Amino acid sequence: MTNLRNVAVVGFAQLPVVARDEHRMSTEMLYPVVRQALAECKVERDDIDYQIAGSVDYMDGRPFGFVAALDVMGSWPARQDLHLEMDAAFCAYYAWVRMQAGECDTAIVVGHGKTSEGEPDRVLNLQLDPYYQAAIGLDPTSTAALQASAYMARTGVTDRDLASIAARNRAAGVRNADNQVRSAASADELMKTPWTVEPLRKGYLPPIGESATCMVLAAEGKARKLCDRPVWIQGVDHRSEMQTLGARDLSRSAGAQLAAQKALAMAGMKSASEADVVELYGATPVEELIVAEALGIEPNAAHPVINPSGGPLCGNPVMSTGLIRMGEIFRQLSGRAGERAVSGARRGIAHAAQGHCLQQNIVWVLGTERRWT
Amino acid sequence: MNEPPTEGIKYVDSKVYLPYDYVAGDSKVRYLQALKQKRILGSKCSKTGKVFVPPLVNSPESFAPCTELVEVADRGVVTTFCIVNIPVIGRNLEIPYVAASVALDGAAISIFALIQECKPEDVRMGMRVEAVWKPDGERQGDHEDIQYFRPTGEADAPQESYINRL
Repeated sequence: MTNLRNVAVVGFAQLPVVARDEHRMSTEMLYPVVRQALAECKVERDDIDYQIAGSVDYMDGRPFGFVAALDVMGSWPARQDLHLEMDAAFCAYYAWVRMQAGECDTAIVVGHGKTSEGEPDRVLNLQLDPYYQAAIGLDPTSTAALQASAYMARTGVTDRDLASIAARNRAAGVRNADNQVRSAASADELMKTPWTVEPLRKGYLPPIGESATCMVLAAEGKARKLCDRPVWIQGVDHRSEMQTLGARDLSRSAGAQLAAQKALAMAGMKSASEADVVELYGATPVEELIVAEALGIEPNAAHPVINPSGGPLCGNPVMSTGLIRMGEIFRQLSGRAGERAVSGARRGIAHAAQGHCLQQNIVWVLGTERRWT
Repeated sequence: MNEPPTEGIKYVDSKVYLPYDYVAGDSKVRYLQALKQKRILGSKCSKTGKVFVPPLVNSPESFAPCTELVEVADRGVVTTFCIVNIPVIGRNLEIPYVAASVALDGAAISIFALIQECKPEDVRMGMRVEAVWKPDGERQGDHEDIQYFRPTGEADAPQESYINRL
């Protein structure tokens, strides 16, 4: 493979995920996070070449609401700026591409969204086609349940298996102060929680949460000036699948599988098992199982460690959940993971997804070493 | 059945209902509450001292936090304006009317305002105006508390006093 430009994650900050911040608007939540991420890198806003934000206007209920974020991102004098209606983990890809093109050396990537102000089920229903799917009232939980049924029918995975995955995330999540849910729960307890949409129980789903996140990326030459232990991007790929739910095998994620293959190949890895730590965007245990299968890792093995942060089940702030997966791998590989640190971790994989039934997937391979020399 | 339909459903009537429950933010809550007392609050940039109305958490220009709320005057200067000849949805205004940017005394940026009690053709950049408030007991702590601005009759402000506050 041709040599690409080495780009590193050099800073990450987030607000602890809460059900509702009563004191701050979305942009008011974002401002201190941008300041913190820059302070972590010991730079001023003037040292950043490029910025990109992930948010959803429908969620915020403000047409062009993303423009307000410019005020809190230090966008003066006028900046190169981009906005995606996608999780910020996808925004990071755009910043990375700009760096590959040589157009910038440093970038901030932010995610924000005031999930509590609207009704996510109603908003996310609008992601579906308006004729057949949105019109019958499908929401993300019901489409996730359709996917769960398909997966369980194909694999024979049981309710107890789902409870075990959820319990593992809940146990890990206790060690993460940024989580909204910070109490362990056993599989037996979780199996007693009521169905939200069968086969998904209340205990298998994250509560509605909100946060704000900011990541700083820097290309080789700048990265070590901004961070004592930069975490290098070794591979990345993202894939989108068809919108029509009936047109794809919901029990699998072809998109996550292909993205993983391509990202691993870019990183020069034969298998995802070569990573030490993996953060998966599974908003339900079934999503986690489907993505683990797509990546080719064993969900219950000791290595690689999956979701030491507690995963999205313990904190699922819209627009930031995916970037938090990347931020967690950065924390793990740069010695910032505190008591949830995976000992000796040198390579990690961050996965993020968006859309109903894992429609879009992105896979990042990150490591302590530069990929290209 | 493979021919195009000659009659039938041509449109899907899709109604979108999205309720929202906004958080105003602490500084805007104080700003709105102060309107009830006919007071206008701004926030002061900790680096440059510029005052933003309504209050912002930081200066978009300097990127420094605004750490202090300060009161500005309920009068100021028309910095730019336009004469509107089309009706506004949801407001029963006689047309033509004047929509203006008003830089309140003490504020570094201007707010949008309606100018009444004068002919549209008499409005000009630099004209001094003052807020006309709803009567006591009727103010709700929202932007309707200021009904409009009207000329004060003072001498026009020199251009250099407002040219950077457009």
